Amino acid sequence: MAETVRVKPAAHSALRLSPVTLLRVAIVLTLLACWELLAASGWLYRDVVPSLLAIGGAVYELLSHGEYYFNLGVTAGEIGVALLIGGTGGLLVGLALGANRFLSKAFESYLYYLGPTPKIIFFPIMIMWFGVGPGSKVAMGTISCFFPIVLSVAAGMRQIDKVLIRVGKSFRAGTWQMVMKIYLPAMRHPIINGVRLGLGVALIGTLLAETKLSNKGIGFLIIQAYSLFDMPRMYAMLIVLFVLSIGANALVGRLGGLDSIKRF
Amino acid sequence: MPISPSTADRAAPSRRTADAILTVGNIDMRFETPDGTLVAVDDVSFTVAPGEFLSVIGPSGCGKSTLFNVIGGLLGGYQGRVTVAGETITGPHASIGMVFQEESTFPWRTVTDNVAFPLELIGMPKQKRIERARHFIRLVGLDGFENRYPGELSGGMRQRVSLARTLASEPKILLMDEPFAALDEQTRLLLGDKVLQIQQDLKQTTLLITHNITEAVQMSDRILVMTYRPGKVKRIVDIDLPRPRTSEIVGSEAFGRYVAQIWADLREEASRGMQDDESRALHPGGARP
Repeated sequence: MAETVRVKPAAHSALRLSPVTLLRVAIVLTLLACWELLAASGWLYRDVVPSLLAIGGAVYELLSHGEYYFNLGVTAGEIGVALLIGGTGGLLVGLALGANRFLSKAFESYLYYLGPTPKIIFFPIMIMWFGVGPGSKVAMGTISCFFPIVLSVAAGMRQIDKVLIRVGKSFRAGTWQMVMKIYLPAMRHPIINGVRLGLGVALIGTLLAETKLSNKGIGFLIIQAYSLFDMPRMYAMLIVLFVLSIGANALVGRLGGLDSIKRF
Repeated sequence: MPISPSTADRAAPSRRTADAILTVGNIDMRFETPDGTLVAVDDVSFTVAPGEFLSVIGPSGCGKSTLFNVIGGLLGGYQGRVTVAGETITGPHASIGMVFQEESTFPWRTVTDNVAFPLELIGMPKQKRIERARHFIRLVGLDGFENRYPGELSGGMRQRVSLARTLASEPKILLMDEPFAALDEQTRLLLGDKVLQIQQDLKQTTLLITHNITEAVQMSDRILVMTYRPGKVKRIVDIDLPRPRTSEIVGSEAFGRYVAQIWADLREEASRGMQDDESRALHPGGARP
């Protein structure tokens, strides 16, 4: 038959050093060199810009003590629970809004206005409701991630190819079958995108709350190091946190990649 | 074999009425629009006999797709009655399998899982439904592509996946709405051969909605010509061409005569449709459907 199979382009060789890669490495090296020069120059207060060696030592120190892992666990747990609550809520509300024009007209504009509002302004209320401990941090993470998830789920539901719904109906799929076998898989991209955005803002919401008022968690450790003026330790924590955030984002991005969700 | 185009008046009862598997009785469908009532389908009646291949042909806007959705049970609010083997349709019916004009494969499922979809819905065990799916994949000639995703296939192959998926539900009536409209001419002809061969092999009762005359004449036992707005039955033409047919028949003289005859009917309707479109474009405030 006069038909061809589309062939995927060959995977890009990761090992070859392109000019872009070289430039990127050069930028990082230059920044590190500048940092080290600044640290050695003595222009700033001692320890505001600690030497790379001191930071490296602090990273090692940090990672070899259980205290850090405990607090990391607290923060990760808070974000996880926040994502679970906010994500489930966002998914359900988003499905309802996507399915019902009346509801979406009535409520969605509020969500659009509330969405970009900095959630940190609700933190005092959350402390009063849920206390200084992890409860208020979970609440902050939850309200942070709820909005991007609900909005992308609602939009995703409206963008489902209508013919797929007609196919399901023509084969007499029940409501539950329609949701599980057509709606959710058809919305996999907007859902995962929403979770990605949600993870980002949950991370921000939770850590910001921890640095404001808390007794556990990474944000608490960072602000503690700051108030003790232990700069190498503070930088060490920022670096580790930076790497972890990149890792988490890459993980969700991988989940969002076509290859792993085709089967969903 | 003597070949003579013969036509049956729409008022004359079909000789097949008695043993019809599908009867469409006095279907009337109106839509309320801001500019008044649009009569999409006006008193359309016909029957389809078991194993028959009937095509409904008409210009764009004659209510073909409305008819397709009514028969498929996806559209309510009409007057009249559709029955399948004596049973009146009130919604999607297990005996009717629909193939849609649009791209309708599930991009997140492999070819096998797409074809097994209707079997999955009725709770057939996994092993069994995969076996059944493979059978229909072979039938449409897609063996070797079982584990591919629709995104890796061409448009013609994806449409064959849709066809296999519908066939897998083993409908008594295959209902197709311009399934090849989005494909290029060569693919369309070859795919037409495939459909025709499957239809003959399975003795599959088929109702094809199309605006393509060649396609309709090549495949059908009878062709129902519809008028443009309101969509009425203009004529039913018996296609008395020998079977098995392939796309090679397109070049024959008898084939040409049928095409000319149907085009003569259709031309009038199509030009009315075109004038309507033009006047609407000139006077946007006028009677819009």
